[in-house]
Amino acid sequence: MSGSSSSEVVHSSMAEYAPLIILLPMLAMPVILFLGKVFNTNPTWKNTLKEGGIIALVAMGAALFISLAIIKDYLGSFSNNGDIFSLTWLNTAIWEGGASTTPISFGFGIYIDHITVMLLFVAAFLCFLINIFAIGYMNTDEINDNRNHRFYAEFVLFCAAMLGMVLSDSFLWLFIFWEIMGLCSYLLIGFYYERPSAASAAKKAFMTTRIGDVFLMIGLVMLWDLFGSLDYSIVFDPANIALVNPGSLQMALGMMFIGAIGKSAQFPLHVWLPDAMEGPTPVSALIHAATMVNAGLYLVARMFPFFGAESMSGELVDLAFIIASIGGITAVMAAGIAFVQDDLKKVLAYSTMSQLGYIFTGLGVALWLANSLDWHHDSASHTIVVVAFGAALFHLFNHAMAKGMLFMASGSVIHEVHHAHHHLHHDDHGDDDEFDAQSMENMGGLASKMPITATAMLVGSASIMGLPLIGGFWSKEGIIANAWRVALEDPRFLFPAACVLLGAGMTGFYMTRMWVKTFAGKPNNEVAAHVGPTNSWIKTPLFILTFVTLSSILLAGMGFTHWAPDSEYSFLSDKGLGAGIMYELGHAFANHDAFYFILTYVAIALSAIVGPFMAMSLFGGKLEEGEDCKPWFKPVIALNNWVYNKYHWDNSGIATSGLAVALQNRLYIDKYYDLAMVKIVAGFSNKAAEVDTKIIDGAVKQIEDKSQKISTIVRSLTTGSARDYILWVAIGTLLIFFFIWGVA
Amino acid sequence: MQDLISMPLVGFPIIASLIIMGTISNMSEEVREKLVNPIRWAVLIFSLVLLGLTTTMFYNFFGDLNGFEGIAFNTYEYHIRYNWVESLGIHWSVGLDALSFPMVWLTTLLLPVTIIATWNEKNGAFYHPLLLLMGGALIGVFVALDLFMFYVFWELTLIPMFFLILKWGGEDRKYAAQKFFIYTFTASVVMLLGLVTLYFLQNPLEPLAHSGTMTGRTFDISSIVSHAHQANMGGNWFLGASMQKIIFAMLMLGFLVKLPAVPFHTWLPDAHVQAPTGGSMLLAGVMLKMGAYGMFRLPIALFPHALEYFQLVLMAIGMVSLVWGSIVCLGQTNLKKMVAYSSVSHMGVICIGIATMQPMGWAAALFMMFAHGIISPHLFAVCGAFKHHYHSMEIGSMRGMAKHSPWLATSMMFAWMASLGLPLLAGFVAELMVLIALWHFLVAEGWSVLWMVGPALVLAVTAAYYLWSMQRTIFEGGDETQPPASMDGQPIPDIGNHEKLAMFVLAMFTILFGVMPWIALDMMNDWSIQIFEGLIMPILGNFNGGV
Repeated sequence: MSGSSSSEVVHSSMAEYAPLIILLPMLAMPVILFLGKVFNTNPTWKNTLKEGGIIALVAMGAALFISLAIIKDYLGSFSNNGDIFSLTWLNTAIWEGGASTTPISFGFGIYIDHITVMLLFVAAFLCFLINIFAIGYMNTDEINDNRNHRFYAEFVLFCAAMLGMVLSDSFLWLFIFWEIMGLCSYLLIGFYYERPSAASAAKKAFMTTRIGDVFLMIGLVMLWDLFGSLDYSIVFDPANIALVNPGSLQMALGMMFIGAIGKSAQFPLHVWLPDAMEGPTPVSALIHAATMVNAGLYLVARMFPFFGAESMSGELVDLAFIIASIGGITAVMAAGIAFVQDDLKKVLAYSTMSQLGYIFTGLGVALWLANSLDWHHDSASHTIVVVAFGAALFHLFNHAMAKGMLFMASGSVIHEVHHAHHHLHHDDHGDDDEFDAQSMENMGGLASKMPITATAMLVGSASIMGLPLIGGFWSKEGIIANAWRVALEDPRFLFPAACVLLGAGMTGFYMTRMWVKTFAGKPNNEVAAHVGPTNSWIKTPLFILTFVTLSSILLAGMGFTHWAPDSEYSFLSDKGLGAGIMYELGHAFANHDAFYFILTYVAIALSAIVGPFMAMSLFGGKLEEGEDCKPWFKPVIALNNWVYNKYHWDNSGIATSGLAVALQNRLYIDKYYDLAMVKIVAGFSNKAAEVDTKIIDGAVKQIEDKSQKISTIVRSLTTGSARDYILWVAIGTLLIFFFIWGVA
Repeated sequence: MQDLISMPLVGFPIIASLIIMGTISNMSEEVREKLVNPIRWAVLIFSLVLLGLTTTMFYNFFGDLNGFEGIAFNTYEYHIRYNWVESLGIHWSVGLDALSFPMVWLTTLLLPVTIIATWNEKNGAFYHPLLLLMGGALIGVFVALDLFMFYVFWELTLIPMFFLILKWGGEDRKYAAQKFFIYTFTASVVMLLGLVTLYFLQNPLEPLAHSGTMTGRTFDISSIVSHAHQANMGGNWFLGASMQKIIFAMLMLGFLVKLPAVPFHTWLPDAHVQAPTGGSMLLAGVMLKMGAYGMFRLPIALFPHALEYFQLVLMAIGMVSLVWGSIVCLGQTNLKKMVAYSSVSHMGVICIGIATMQPMGWAAALFMMFAHGIISPHLFAVCGAFKHHYHSMEIGSMRGMAKHSPWLATSMMFAWMASLGLPLLAGFVAELMVLIALWHFLVAEGWSVLWMVGPALVLAVTAAYYLWSMQRTIFEGGDETQPPASMDGQPIPDIGNHEKLAMFVLAMFTILFGVMPWIALDMMNDWSIQIFEGLIMPILGNFNGGV
């Protein structure tokens, strides 16, 4: 790049290789695309290289390796905090009054801190696993034959963009990679371009996020105007923040938050996410777990230094409230819609929205605390802020792992149901379109047939529900507790706090419903009865993620709940692992404060007892006679069977009620958006096009017409006599002369 | 210094094309048919030599990359001046600066690309030389440093374009060619009136310097600019405050019609829809930029007072073009017309950039001219291929292109994405800079921030019309797609190698200038700062007491 590197270079062995994390996948894209175009249908390309899947895997593996090395470096010392290097990208200048212009430059660089490290691990790790899964999923389906190279090319670009967004050192480059990610999601959702539904979903995803992006872009412009830069090292400097008008800053951050709403599918820009299920399953996992939706959370988490600055103390609480409330609304709304979905992937999509809502609430709460408490000087407040922020980030981690696993597991189910259907109806292609391999109505009793998948699904569901000790439990309890902590201080927060508490019970219901409908009970039709086990490309990532999710207690003990940049809360801090786990356990289950003690058990009761109980009483039951399942499913299925037999009740009254119908119609939000698009936007633009031709161009045509008439009159002046012409020339010259004379 | 411009860049293309066309016009059809191939190869090689020459200039003879950076206000590289009509002060004066050079380079880039993209155009023996003539005339406009010369080349560009539309155009070509000619010609007559008034009113400050002239006046732009600069800086508005405004308005009218800005834009969709692909590519790529170029070269450099006076008007025109252009795009059913209106919208960005009166906004406007010059020919090449292969221009007449014509579909998506301002492609940098400059200007000058609603709306609407059109062309269909009725049951072909090559070159440059914008932006930025610091800033400081 044109400029030289800046002076703040911190020398660190691994971090210097950070650009490779972005460059390797990015360069893999044209390679895969080119080779795929040239060697398409070549057997080596197809079977050995998996149509580019192996090339992608190598690139992602290298990216993961470098990422892990950087993370290890960082956690060991915290020394390479901040800008690793930065280069000038474009130079320009602005005039602010005064005697000369002020030069401005926008740079590109790598920035590493605790937020980067968390997201970097999530993105690199999940992208790698999803890549393994994709090889097992995409390359075994003949609908993808000879076009998988396109998938892998778009996939690696997507990963490169995500990793770039996480690593870049300014809001400008965050936005640049953010947009490239948007493009990739558009291409991937529309992968099956021949399906009108996919084409429409792709457009919807790009358009909806674009609306958010416009606000983000304007927010960035406003932020630039406040700081004269978008580099983290400048905008996060407390000395610079102290010079900024809080109201303007809140406005800019609010605008940027709208961008996050679009990207993370929060109300009211959430409509694209369920439709994005049109993409192939690895894409769903990618968009929903590893990358795109986390981008919005990352953006909000990045705003922490603004909220935490002493000069902003108490000035940005309104925005924190808005962030928490949007999260709360989405958490409840999406959970409600998930109640009535029959499509396996759509349940997960709404569950994603709901969990992202949790994380937004968690972030909003943490930002409120950072903005209100005197945490720079008071160590008790400091702990509170760190733990609140840590809870949100830890939930991001847990949710990404669990949801990645759930999507891959659901993909595995769908894949096998689809194959079973093909197997059964191989000579009968006629009803292919009728059969919906994603509908839970075509599943049931799969626990005996797909043990690994069912286990992964079980663990993932438990993590999302927040069953004690598993995965998301640690972080979810933290979010709920802190939301109530703030609600006690600022009564406005009672709303998001109540939402997340209610949402906990709703999550318990819909996740249990999903699991028992798919894996417990009897097969719903003959297709489900013929489902077979899945291949090892698919099993491996499921296995790894199950392990990660189950070991979240270790992570919690290691200090993941105190995710902060200072060594005081570093990994394996002075306590050590055993003591850390004991501390977390004690903190969670035997809180000294009576309020939080009760709150914890209320939340556990809602998410682990009330919600699952309701679901089990309605759905599932025991497996088909003679079917055997792994021992760890037996208690679950037995419990399900017992509840089902004893408490089953007829819910048809509720299922057909107005609310249920509204939920099935996604609360009619999509419908009104469509209506607005068709009636207002399209109608207006058609009118505009008409006005342009009829009125604006019409006026020109009028002039044309008139001038033709005039010209016939003028033509009569063409007498052919030289004397007449000379007369006209003389008059004309005089007129021009007088004109100039008069004006000058 | 050697004269590297007059003959190599301007004279030879025009003379060569005239000789070729003159020679073959007397030949019989059969002989002409045989000559098509040699002629187009000759024209292609010639245009590649031109590209090589300008690229060499880009690198300042392999010295540093910054050949056009940092040169002082009103000085020019390769500046040559011969007397032409001495008694009237007409010169043949040519030179390059960071304002004109990117446009000249762009013209020489687009010439071979256009020739390759439309390699098999019918009646090629005339067609390809005509493109060369067009290129020579366009370069002439950009290198001219004499008002007379500038006007001559300005009008000269109309002639090849007129014939391109008339002879190679669509069904309504006669109407479109006439409308194009009369509309823009009328506007340039107003501009001419402005130029002549400027010529007569200029104060013969140094009579001795032009003692050879009968009128004591000159057409030489650099002399006029330095006179104007002296007068403006000295506290007396050049030509007087009110006269500045009048001439400014007259010149701007000519340039705004060429740009085109709403409401003077309706010639553009007609011309584009009827023009052949090559004509459209040059028209959108370079010819529209003549308007923006002219604004910077004359009215802005000469009449800073008038610029400030008309700032609001210019801003309003830019906003209206931007918003109206994009909304009308959404209502189009004709692919090429949609792309044409998107040009109107993008040209609005240039107007806004100028109206911000910020070096950043001006650099952004210059970069927009350049970036749009690379992207829009790509758009029109795609439209041309669409028309050529599917015999239809209607959006939705051909669906599932991704299956039937994957190359064209890929090209289309790339061009569309570039045009909607995807980061790391050329268009984004200019958009971002205009937004920043606009916001900064609004806040600093206390204008209402509601002006920001326009660009914000357009960012969304632009995505909407491009995505919607892609949904109905690239996507959908699949196995059930019936070829459009216009295909008459013929198999659906993908684009040929010529088109692939041309689009690939444009795509590569779109990426190059998107990832490494500084290659072109640094010189534009320097130029903007030069003209701003040298011309606008002291004057605003003197007369307004600063912001």
